[in-house]
Amino acid sequence: MIVQLINGLAYGGLLYVVAVGLVLIFGLRQVVNFAHGSLFMLGAYVGYVISFYAGFWAGLVVAIAALGILGSLLDIAVFGPLRHRGPMTTVLVTFGLALILEDFAQAIWGKGLRLQQPPPFLSGTVAIFGDSFPVYRLAVIAMAAIVCLGLAIWMRKTRVGLFVRASSVDPEGTAMQGVNTDRLSILVVGLGTSLSGLAGVIAAPLLSLSPSMGSYVLIDSFIVVVLGGIGSFSGAFLAAILIGQIHNLGVIFVPSLAAVIPLALMSLVLMWRPSGLAGTAA
Amino acid sequence: MTDLSVGDLGTGKRERQALARRRETLSQGAILIIAIVAVIPVAYLVRSNLVLSLMTQAVIAGVLATSVGFLIRQSGAVTFGNAAFYGTAAYCVALPLKAGLSLPLGIALALVIPPALAYLLGLVIVRIPGIAFSMLTLAIGQALSELALKARWLTGGEDGFSFALPKTVVGLDASFLQRPTSMLIFSWSVLVLVLFGLSLFSRSRYGRVVAAIRENEERARFIGYQTVSRRAATFALSAFVASIGGVLATLYNSFVSPETMHWSLSGMALIMAIIGGTQLLWGAVVGAAFVFFAKDWAGDIGEHWQAVIGVILIVVTVGLPGGISGAMMQIASRGSRLFKGRGAP
Repeated sequence: MIVQLINGLAYGGLLYVVAVGLVLIFGLRQVVNFAHGSLFMLGAYVGYVISFYAGFWAGLVVAIAALGILGSLLDIAVFGPLRHRGPMTTVLVTFGLALILEDFAQAIWGKGLRLQQPPPFLSGTVAIFGDSFPVYRLAVIAMAAIVCLGLAIWMRKTRVGLFVRASSVDPEGTAMQGVNTDRLSILVVGLGTSLSGLAGVIAAPLLSLSPSMGSYVLIDSFIVVVLGGIGSFSGAFLAAILIGQIHNLGVIFVPSLAAVIPLALMSLVLMWRPSGLAGTAA
Repeated sequence: MTDLSVGDLGTGKRERQALARRRETLSQGAILIIAIVAVIPVAYLVRSNLVLSLMTQAVIAGVLATSVGFLIRQSGAVTFGNAAFYGTAAYCVALPLKAGLSLPLGIALALVIPPALAYLLGLVIVRIPGIAFSMLTLAIGQALSELALKARWLTGGEDGFSFALPKTVVGLDASFLQRPTSMLIFSWSVLVLVLFGLSLFSRSRYGRVVAAIRENEERARFIGYQTVSRRAATFALSAFVASIGGVLATLYNSFVSPETMHWSLSGMALIMAIIGGTQLLWGAVVGAAFVFFAKDWAGDIGEHWQAVIGVILIVVTVGLPGGISGAMMQIASRGSRLFKGRGAP
């Protein structure tokens, strides 16, 4: 049972890293990036290709950097120019981008599933209360925790982090106080997408690689973002841990209903609090 | 005195409005009959079965796309999950037939269950503003299609199943549902009736309240309207239209699979609606026709159809917010202005 809870924590950690990227982007631009799942997939493939030549860790670093640059370009080319056009315009454009990226991945790497091996020293198992457990999943939890701590420290201790927090509460007020939110968002959107790239690489040994691998994670992380209260960092954290557990327990105990359980839970919570777990009363 | 005259003026105005509305309804009725009749020669003049079949599929997809476009136009809500209702309706038709029950029963179920489901879901999800609604429709669509995929005993899993139509449907030879010529006429007539019904809804009192909620929900609530139930009902109406599409598709193909519920179909319906334009009810139909025939023409690049459609979606969203139908109307009004020599609105 403990092992199952740790499994759920690993999936929850992964969801957190994806969802917090969405929250970062939402905070600055008030839009939801529907291409986030495709960027996650792209990150996984970049990591996969680089790990052939230079090992897993080099793949991780390159994927984070590549996806970060891609995200900054995305902000310069899409989110910035479309910022006065209503959030739905950006949603549709990123949806179109998701289709293009998926087709792109399919053209290069094919439709078939590919397997990514975890790095050698994380590939064994460890005994937890008598059950053997893959070390790699513990490493996933550790990486998610590092991301979470790193973001928390960055946002609480640095000036830029302060701007990000301020902007996610009131973007106009923040801009009026003299923060260049356009320049800030190039950085923050890049950070958000580099997190999706990071998540893609660390998820690759758990899931198999395919051009459509992003859509499942995207949908689960949408549930996380909405359940936590759209735009809320702490809400995303809570919701990711919760959905990770629920999802995992559902898969074990009621596999036929596993897809619906997170949604049902979310519906219950939203009936009780329409603005999400950590959302402010709207 | 003054009170009375003001009252009189009011009634007179109201009568004039009613008259104008009746005249509009009449002219729409005429358009309705012309539109239905016009397809008959087309269906018989097109000799190629391939083109006819393509047209029929485009019309059926047009019904699904209309359900999405209607919701955007009426409620301002963008759904990424209407195929879930389309697919549920498809299974509602197919499962009773597989079990040896009657077709009318299946059709009745298909037109009741998905909208009811949409209404209940709507009561929860329409409270959530803007983008979050879209995210949740995507999640709901995905969850329902996963559910269908897992319920192998009921749905046939990934492979789906095919079934035989009964010999006659309400006294008619059922094979007309599977011949492209007759099915094109039939589904086109259904589509025209759907558009007519939706346009009546938009102009009804209820429809205008829904439009008011779209513009400013808080103010509508302040005036005293129940906004959540009305938006949920509009979502259910959209699901109802999607269900009609699901019924038509199932009758035409006599085959169902969980793919009918998948988010990629929902996404395609949304793309059709956006490309066609959502300011006009029939825009989504134009979009559906465009997507089907463009795909057919694409030929060699058809392999990368998904990327092509993604590019088209982006170009239309950014450069042509009214979609194809909006552009058509603009050209038409510019043309008529030139013709009449005065500024038409």
